Amino acid sequence: MPDDMILEMRGISKSFPGVKLFENFDFRLEKGQIHCICGENGAGKSTLIKMLSGAYAPDDGDIYFDGKKVSLTPHSAMGMGIQTIYQEHTLFPLMKVYENLYVNQELTNGIAIDAPRMIDKAAEVLNYLHSNISPLDVVGRLGSGGQKTVEIAKALIQESKVIILDEPTASFSQTEIDHLLTIIRKLAGGGISIVYISHHLEEVFKIADRVTVIRDGQKINSYDLKDLTEQILIHDMVGRDVSQFYRREETSIGEVIFEVRNLSGPGVKNASLIVRKGELLGIAGMVGSGRTELADLLFGVKKATSGKFLISGTEVKIGSPFSAIRHRMCYITEDRQSTGLFLILTLDRNIPIASYSRTRTPFAMPKVDERISEKYIESLKIATTGVSQKAMFLSGGNQQKVVLAKWFATNADIFIFDEPTRGIDVGAKEEIYKIMVELLRQGKAIIMISSDMPELISLSDRIIVMNSGSLVAELQNTDINEVNILKNSIGGSLQ
Amino acid sequence: MISTNTIRRLMRHENISLFLVLLFIVVVFAVVELFGIRGGNLSKVAFIQPRNISNVLMQISTTGILALSMCLIMISGGIDLSIGQMMSFLGTAMATLLRVYGFSELGMVLTGLALAFVLQLFMGYLISRTKLEPFIVSLAFMTIYKGLTYLISNGSEITITDKFTFIGQTYLSITDRFRIGMPVILLIGLSIIMSMTLKYTKFGRKVYAVGGNSNAAYLAGIDVKNHKMLLYGLNGLFVAIATMSLMSRIGVGSPLMGEGKEIDVIAAVVVGGTALSGGKGNIWGTLIGVLLLGIISNALNILGVAPYWQYIMSGTLILVAVVLSYLNSMRTTTATANK
Repeated sequence: MPDDMILEMRGISKSFPGVKLFENFDFRLEKGQIHCICGENGAGKSTLIKMLSGAYAPDDGDIYFDGKKVSLTPHSAMGMGIQTIYQEHTLFPLMKVYENLYVNQELTNGIAIDAPRMIDKAAEVLNYLHSNISPLDVVGRLGSGGQKTVEIAKALIQESKVIILDEPTASFSQTEIDHLLTIIRKLAGGGISIVYISHHLEEVFKIADRVTVIRDGQKINSYDLKDLTEQILIHDMVGRDVSQFYRREETSIGEVIFEVRNLSGPGVKNASLIVRKGELLGIAGMVGSGRTELADLLFGVKKATSGKFLISGTEVKIGSPFSAIRHRMCYITEDRQSTGLFLILTLDRNIPIASYSRTRTPFAMPKVDERISEKYIESLKIATTGVSQKAMFLSGGNQQKVVLAKWFATNADIFIFDEPTRGIDVGAKEEIYKIMVELLRQGKAIIMISSDMPELISLSDRIIVMNSGSLVAELQNTDINEVNILKNSIGGSLQ
Repeated sequence: MISTNTIRRLMRHENISLFLVLLFIVVVFAVVELFGIRGGNLSKVAFIQPRNISNVLMQISTTGILALSMCLIMISGGIDLSIGQMMSFLGTAMATLLRVYGFSELGMVLTGLALAFVLQLFMGYLISRTKLEPFIVSLAFMTIYKGLTYLISNGSEITITDKFTFIGQTYLSITDRFRIGMPVILLIGLSIIMSMTLKYTKFGRKVYAVGGNSNAAYLAGIDVKNHKMLLYGLNGLFVAIATMSLMSRIGVGSPLMGEGKEIDVIAAVVVGGTALSGGKGNIWGTLIGVLLLGIISNALNILGVAPYWQYIMSGTLILVAVVLSYLNSMRTTTATANK
């Protein structure tokens, strides 16, 4: 291994129950290099970071740090100087900047904690990063950009040699992005190596020395920036096995049932879309592009600041999930355990609960609730011991079916699915697809958000691509393919 | 003839283990008294005399009524610490209305109910609209009520001699020595109403949904904020009813009449199988919890256990109940994890 190599992975393999994610994977990081990792949602970027930071141990293969073979744990990785800065903030919001920088490694003067010295050193580092943050500022009052700067300062104070940044610019303004990129270049100039993960091609092309593309845990290629073009990058990121595609039968598409015009709200800018009876509208985009925020606005979970809703051509107000349900909408959320299910309640208390909003009677008859629950357990083939089983004892696929049953019982016409098959095994996935196609055949409309490219492509009649909170493209028929979706999802100003 | 099927269904009932514990404790105390201090003479055992049983029922009626609405609040994931001091406040306030301001009994009842409802509804408004812990908000209300109580009463009892005796002095005599007081009838009636509410109304079903997962409840179209707020308002009504029942029985509005009641009530609800984390619990379990604590205190009295030791034994029992329910919940989470 040449001297200028700081971190190297050789022949790494890692699998999870049912998924082989990494196989014989190589990765090399030079001293002072800014190395960007690109890949689709689910390509294995997070797993790679977790192996580099010691959170996951690879099943096979070796990791070398500074020429020596090492085995990484979160603790040893930090000790060697590998610092990971995750997408979510990991600082203590109520503590001051300098206290955060020295958490658990406070400087002392032999007897007590030496605050003045810590404040001085913190000021020095922040100054080096061209930041106007004071060591005495409270972290929670800083913006996202400021907090990221503090995390980088923390890495510097710990004398890190490698800093891994996972999607650092999510929810950043353009000035904050520019400032961060300047800081990173300065760090690299000072000999620190950077692993930079981003969905934004613009940033990658601005900052990278070298780019590695991964797909399904395989290293596809590594390039020096000068050899790389957007075409090559996207070409490398796409390309799935055809066998992963579900074959969907055609259904007939009717008139427009749901429409929004110029909808804006938290995380979404000026979105307009229509969906017709019997049509599946796919929403594509990278994680963080505002897809879930859009779904939240459509269903009234978050309040829209402006825009119009029309159902079958009539303008309606949707300001809460209750009003959305009254207008025959339903929303199968991304995280079924925390927002879809009542885990500690029985199935006959999970399934009828949303349909309470559809009738005016104050009464709820246990017998009726049981009958409804039994009906859907049978028609959706939910594997359970009966209506009195608690939802937490079901498998992921069956839990998802309970969520579906809850909404089917409301007799909805407009279905919003957010990641309908996340964490569900292949067999159960196909069952969910069949159920969705059956809905389309009944003339229901579906809006489906998905990060699963084969799912999106094979199920959608039409696809809208989101990027940074805006709807940037609409794809139909033969335009629907991975290259087009990806180009629009990560394009930014390169388009 | 009871079929095995019925027995099996009975054994699976959610309150069965609690009920068996109650039976067990009754038998143990009766046996201890029989052989411990009565020398084996069954007719002398005070614990199982009809008169004692009607006394116990009367004694638990106040805690029982309070526990009914507290049970709903706790199923929904909330808690209300203010009920004890609120009782003292309402008691002294209502007695003052009757004595000093010459209110009619009906006027006093309606004013008391309205006042309690509005005040607790306001507390519920604060709890449901902010992210403040109900624990802290109700603690603040508790302190405010305590101050109000002393402002009204100046620290002394307010007697209501010969007025408002309807609840306290009305009995249903089953035999000479076994009679059921109005407060007990109130408790039974309200229990049936609350139990039916939980089981047969959307309002009741939503209580479990809100406590089970308030995010999912909101997405399922439940107005979580208003639902929580209403529960606190409802609790206010029950506090008013409990206060009137006690005041009518003892003939005074006392600044100490609710002292420490919140602890008894919460303990009974928890022993009755309601989870502090919400989503789980029921009225009949709560009633068994109330009975259990009431019977234990009564039996310890009869057995002549010193009051200080009574506290220690009651506290230990609550601890055992909570630990058992924790172990039970651990078992279910492990079962999920292994899935």
